[in-house]
Amino acid sequence: MSNLKTVEPFGEGFISALCPELILFAGLILLIIVPNLGDGKFRIPGTQTRIPWLLGGKRFKLTSDPRLPSWIAVITIGASFVMTILSFQDGVERTAIVSEGGTQILMINAFSRVFELIFFGALTLAAFASMNRLDVKGIGARVSTEELYNNRRQGDFYILMITCALGMSIVALAQDLFVLFIGLELASFSTYVLVAFFKESKAGTEAGMKYFIVGSVASGVGLYGLSMLYLWAGSLQLDVLAEMFVLSGSDALPMIGIGFVLVGFGFKVSAAPFHFAAPDAYSGASSPVAGVLATASKAMGIVGLLRILLIVAAPESSEEGTVWLVCLGLLSVITMTWGNLAALGSTNPKRMLAYSSVAHAGYMLAAITAIGAWNWDSTLSGDPGEAAVVVLTALMFHLMVLVAFKLGAFLVLSVLESEGGGSRLSSLGGLAKREPFLAVAMFIFMISLAGVPPLAGFMSKLLVIMGIVKVALGDMSEALATGSELGLSDVHWVWWLALAMVINSAISVYYYLRIGVVMFFEEPEEGKTGPLPAGWQVRFAILACLLATVFMGVAGDKILEICEIAAQSFNYNWA
Amino acid sequence: MILLAFVSNASPRVRDGLVKPIRMACFVFSLLLFVLTTGMFFKYFGEVSWMDIEFNDYEYFVSYAWIDSLGINWTVGLDALSFPMVWLTTFLLPVTMIATWNEKYGATYFPLLLMMGGALIGVFVSLDLFMFYVFWELTLIPMFFLILKWGGADRKYAAQKFFIYTFTASVVMLLGLITLYFLQEPNTLASAGSMTGRSFSIPELIDTARTANVGDNWFLGKTMQNILFVMLMIGFLVKLPAVPFHTWLPDAHVQAPTGGSMLLAGVMLKMGAYGMFRLPLSLFPHALYHFQLALMIIGMVSLVWGAIVCLGQTNLKKMVAYSSVSHMGVILIGIATMQPMGWAAALFMMFAHGIISPMLFAVCGAFKHHYHSMEIGAMRGMAKHSPWLATSMMFAWMASLGLPLLAGFVAEIMMLIALWHMISLDGWSIWWMVGPALVLALTAAYYLWSMQRTIFEGGDETQPPANMVGKIIPDISNPEKFAMLILAFFTILFGIMPWIALDMMDDWTKQIFNGLILFVGKGGA
Repeated sequence: MSNLKTVEPFGEGFISALCPELILFAGLILLIIVPNLGDGKFRIPGTQTRIPWLLGGKRFKLTSDPRLPSWIAVITIGASFVMTILSFQDGVERTAIVSEGGTQILMINAFSRVFELIFFGALTLAAFASMNRLDVKGIGARVSTEELYNNRRQGDFYILMITCALGMSIVALAQDLFVLFIGLELASFSTYVLVAFFKESKAGTEAGMKYFIVGSVASGVGLYGLSMLYLWAGSLQLDVLAEMFVLSGSDALPMIGIGFVLVGFGFKVSAAPFHFAAPDAYSGASSPVAGVLATASKAMGIVGLLRILLIVAAPESSEEGTVWLVCLGLLSVITMTWGNLAALGSTNPKRMLAYSSVAHAGYMLAAITAIGAWNWDSTLSGDPGEAAVVVLTALMFHLMVLVAFKLGAFLVLSVLESEGGGSRLSSLGGLAKREPFLAVAMFIFMISLAGVPPLAGFMSKLLVIMGIVKVALGDMSEALATGSELGLSDVHWVWWLALAMVINSAISVYYYLRIGVVMFFEEPEEGKTGPLPAGWQVRFAILACLLATVFMGVAGDKILEICEIAAQSFNYNWA
Repeated sequence: MILLAFVSNASPRVRDGLVKPIRMACFVFSLLLFVLTTGMFFKYFGEVSWMDIEFNDYEYFVSYAWIDSLGINWTVGLDALSFPMVWLTTFLLPVTMIATWNEKYGATYFPLLLMMGGALIGVFVSLDLFMFYVFWELTLIPMFFLILKWGGADRKYAAQKFFIYTFTASVVMLLGLITLYFLQEPNTLASAGSMTGRSFSIPELIDTARTANVGDNWFLGKTMQNILFVMLMIGFLVKLPAVPFHTWLPDAHVQAPTGGSMLLAGVMLKMGAYGMFRLPLSLFPHALYHFQLALMIIGMVSLVWGAIVCLGQTNLKKMVAYSSVSHMGVILIGIATMQPMGWAAALFMMFAHGIISPMLFAVCGAFKHHYHSMEIGAMRGMAKHSPWLATSMMFAWMASLGLPLLAGFVAEIMMLIALWHMISLDGWSIWWMVGPALVLALTAAYYLWSMQRTIFEGGDETQPPANMVGKIIPDISNPEKFAMLILAFFTILFGIMPWIALDMMDDWTKQIFNGLILFVGKGGA
């Protein structure tokens, strides 16, 4: 544990270490207070003196503006995003927030910072784009009751966005499964409500309800698993658990416990067979929120999976480990195939994106399987860090670029949704004529999702496949160099995961291309000609996504480096 | 070259209303490219002699680091294998533009053609596996749009089939490439990546392979060579295309616009053959021996099956498309003969077919344009009606069936000689000659038959298609005439003086055979 800096709560260095989170917290409080500021006065009992205390009363012109909460939220999350980027500038110092007893609660390192980047980036864009979705009416003029209600819910929406960001960043930082769980629940509950927030359609409420019920069952199961782990180890500290696992990891109790916890995270990443709620939730939620679910929320689940599988349950070469591995590998193949096949048949673009997100979860599970294989399988030999770093880098790069093109695709649908479309494939018809920018952007997002070079999606898929292949081949290259004769049977079975992935991405091309065909070569729906509803914010966000998609595909070198550093910092034993 | 690839990829896609200047700009740009590559041939730029380039040595070699951690470099260079292909691409670009001068939506059509050309040049010049793959896939996108926007009635089906079919094959190839990448000995190559310790560099890989393929040692071992060979070949064979992976081609061709077809048949199919020469054949000599018979069989089947299917076609364009399949079989047979002559024949076939097939499709396009039909026999007595079109058609058909003194003949006769060599030297059965002999007759049959039905039959009274009766149908337009003339000129030029291109190809094949040490001390495995 080299140069680890420990900080006690509110001790020296606390503020600089947790800067992004503190900004979020401050923003949260601002969001609660600021819209309520007014000329309210407080009369001291028994006197006639009224002291202005600024809360309530007739609100000021600025603070009563319903657009204010959205700006506060965007600036807050954006500021945390910028702070996170800045912290990379002179290397992220490994800092642990410890409790009074000296146990680690939160850990700030490059790994958690990268995930914070993903969360904050996705949420900033989503919050920014949402400004066009929650209509603000009747500013300045006379406001009807209905409009007033509508305007009042602005605050709620953005508060939820910020709590979501806060919860997610806690998940990224947590060093204790219980803290991790609290963060997870904070973020989850925010997303449940955000999904249901789309009141314009009945589907929103239904989706929110479904998502909530399935999600809380999954959380419950996960919590039950946590309690089993606690019963077994007497602590939920990651490092304590890891030590215990080396001693007696193959006992029934921790195995079942871990299995249950995995169910909880499996739901978050929408891996089969826990993905059933995802398509409903995505298609019911408003598109920016669905985009958050598909990117940030998924990344959060991946953090959980990585922590559990690679830190806790990663004993060196135990035979029982391979059983888990095969299960995970099978699960990944089932997930990606199921997702792709279901997406083939869906005519709702949002559902299609949801299923494609399931397929992507499958690819990521395959990558995790590969890391696990390197650590657990005694038939593979080599430096445990080397391959794991490659795969982890790939995984993080993948999650990062996913924000660019998956969220971007959802944002394009969001514009369509503003005019009542977006949930039918035909509503994309003639988009190229109506608004060429959106059509080109959507097409680029689609082929990036399909993994066509030179876009970011290709880079990330290539990296994941590369990582898997590297693990599968192990040190075969050295053996071959000395002239030994090796065949396909000498290649580790995770190589077939790469093949499955490759075939799956070929299947997926069909439904991604179909969107392009509809946009460019079909007529618009009846009565839907002319330009789409205005809104510069969402278009700006789409442009940002578009630039990121192209840029990270062509010149992703720097970002790759950051991801590599982050991957090395994930487990200090590897570096 | 870098600049060319860059600029042509970044060519503007501007909206309607600017058709004329855009068309002109694209045309001038492509013409400049053509002048540049022709100048390269005549040694105006950089004094490069295209003869005696050592195997795995490249001219105009440039390399920049692109993504360091993975060992990806922007590496480009030319040798006698890639140069004719680059020249062909730059030659066909302006010709295609001339032939389809009045295509609708010109403001996007011409830049798309240019993008296509940029991607194709990129494929041929790149010497980095990653870059190669990027350009390889990049060619799909403009072609997809060309088919979708300007294609025939069934274009959606055709475009998607084309995209998915070739994409599936190339992702399998990609997995093969990555497996190859990680099978290198780590940290031995100069351009190895900092994170993975491996390199994507093609020249360095070929060098390693050459030094490893000594005596009884084989680069990566025999089994691994075979596995990788198959994975890479899947990608290339589908692109070529060889039977049984050819079904995307007729659909794509029939639906594609003339310009798309011309580039598709002229250059894009050659990407498959080029890739074979560049990667599997240069890297895996053992696997080549191992799969010689399989290649020969696939080649023969493509050759014969393509010709037989041609006989049954009533659609002019479909017939031409299947004749392409048949000709690509010649390339495969040439490779499978394992004779330097055979390989040179394959290379020259790539080149000759690259000039002849665009002419075939230009004729088909003009036919469709003027008679609004593709059916053989819909139009009769064309010789009287449109003498220009009839003449071009006759010339193209003759060139394709291998008339002596035209470019196609040279390649075919070389292939036959190489086949005889193989039969007499390596002791193959004489029955292998039956296929090509049969196909010579079949090819003549289907071409002559279609010609007779469209050009000559009908007597003094011409019979335009039923839907065109009573309308005035002009002969082909001036740009079309001009394009046909250029194509015909080069067909004759390379038929009479094949050595202009053949010399460097022949030289390259000799170099590669020396380089691979196929015959020194190994004598077949």
